[in-house]
Amino acid sequence: MARPFLRPLHYCRNQIHSSSSPSSFCSARVFLFSSRSVILQQQHCLRGGPLLSRYRHLYHSSHHPDTPPHEYTNSQTTILTAALKHVPAHGFTRDALTLGARDTGFLDVSIQLLPRGEFDLILFWLASRRGLLRAAVERNGLLRPLESEFVSVEEKTRTLILERLKMNNYIRHQWQDALALMSLPSHIPLSLSELHALSSDILYLAGDTSVDSSWYTKRLSVSAIYASAEVIMTQDSSPDLSATEAFVNRRIEDSKAIGDKLNSAKQCLGFMGSTAIGLGRSWGLKI
Amino acid sequence: MSSRSLWRSLNFTTQRRIALAETPYRCFSCSRRRLADPRADSERMTHFGFTNVPESKKETMVSAVFSSVASSYDTMNDLMSLGIHRLWKDHFVRSLNPGSTITSRDPDATEQGWNILDIAGGTGDIAFRMLDHATNINHDTRTRVTIADINPDMLAEGKKRSLETPYYKSDRLSFMQGNAEHMPSIPDNSVDLYTVVFGIRNFTDKQAALVEAHRVLKPGGVFACMEFSKVDNALFNAVYKNWSFSAIPLIGQLVAGDRESYQYLVESIEKFPSQEEFRGMIQKAGFMIPGRGFENLTGGIAAIHKGIKPLRA
Repeated sequence: MARPFLRPLHYCRNQIHSSSSPSSFCSARVFLFSSRSVILQQQHCLRGGPLLSRYRHLYHSSHHPDTPPHEYTNSQTTILTAALKHVPAHGFTRDALTLGARDTGFLDVSIQLLPRGEFDLILFWLASRRGLLRAAVERNGLLRPLESEFVSVEEKTRTLILERLKMNNYIRHQWQDALALMSLPSHIPLSLSELHALSSDILYLAGDTSVDSSWYTKRLSVSAIYASAEVIMTQDSSPDLSATEAFVNRRIEDSKAIGDKLNSAKQCLGFMGSTAIGLGRSWGLKI
Repeated sequence: MSSRSLWRSLNFTTQRRIALAETPYRCFSCSRRRLADPRADSERMTHFGFTNVPESKKETMVSAVFSSVASSYDTMNDLMSLGIHRLWKDHFVRSLNPGSTITSRDPDATEQGWNILDIAGGTGDIAFRMLDHATNINHDTRTRVTIADINPDMLAEGKKRSLETPYYKSDRLSFMQGNAEHMPSIPDNSVDLYTVVFGIRNFTDKQAALVEAHRVLKPGGVFACMEFSKVDNALFNAVYKNWSFSAIPLIGQLVAGDRESYQYLVESIEKFPSQEEFRGMIQKAGFMIPGRGFENLTGGIAAIHKGIKPLRA
């Protein structure tokens, strides 16, 4: 019923890079979830069959079921889900929460269930949309048209970022307020961890398998592109979000160009270095 | 040889003496021994500060303490907490945000506004703040508060102070004398918000009071409690303990002329369960716990606990 901590989840996979003992970390987290959701997840995995096996977590024990996108209790989820319906009209405010609580048979005072108030509503929005994005790929085959060897990870990432941005479309007039709330000093850590979870999800779903330092740079660049595109989107007046789409395309081109430049520079420096060493050796230096 | 025999006899006698002094433990004597204990059978004990008193007596003793401090209650609170208690109370009320900002779609007049029950709120500190918040912040003039207190002297103090508020003789404020462990005059499922601020540690049976709170609250209603708690920082704790055990009784003696009552106050704070234990008690009474369940104020000197009654029990 009650959870000791109420905060969005960080996915267990890929923790091998940031945590020294990934398996113990994961099992401790999984232990917190209600057994029911674990069973549901397992059933879901069994039904998923061959499609899911392709999206198996790469650095993650297959014995651990997928983690749910958020950690709210049933009553909290009920209120929050109902409150999301009032967001287009009332924004991410306590009024939306109150109306959500009333819709589901709770009292006005029951929004005390959410200790962070409207920020919980924003976190729930982010976490649930992230879950929807996963579902769109894993169950509805969003990326299936792109499943070929010639489609790059970048292209899939682009599709996923745009798909996620489209989910913000019908609340985009309220999103600036939400961004303002997320940027309050006390809310920054949770907002950033949610952004990291999203970028990590996008890259994972796009089939990124990097295990070197590019693991970090890729997540950073996807986070940066997504966050800036969100801001652009709040001022995008084009009906089909074409301005935002063009913005995302340009940013991805930019990051690709920067990556290429960095790569060339690295190659050039490596070549010059090895030449220098070879030259030194030919002069009889003990290198 | 003679010394050895002497030693052996000595040894023997000491052993015998021990054996005689010790009451042999036999299982069939347990019940008889328990019967022989005069206190355990006749009366359950509870703590009154650091001393143990029979449960039936605690109520009158607490009542004597608060009758004695009622008149100087506010001055003393300011002096003891250096004025911080006002910040705590303001924060408590603000976090609860009493009053409906949006008028209900239900035109049924009786269900407009919140029905708040303020337990142990004799002097009206919390009640007036909540009514002010509902009126001035949320523009809700229907929210009403019932102040309940076991002590008539504290209630008299609150009634005196209500003369200066706009809620005097209005239907938004009412007073009630009663014991929080048993309130037959309040029907089941009738209260939106149940608050008890710096009161629950004086209750004889806290669990019974929590169960009673669960009974009177509507499904979805909130139990909110602010109470002194345990400081988590060791260094700060040392400073705080020094202040509470040496300064507070002294201030009580100088200002209110009553050292014993304030000695009781600090001892009862020491005896109150920790944040985690009290959260467990709230959970045991049937409440849902939001998030961590408590919020520490000023490093844990006080803590706000909340519980929500589930829709379906």
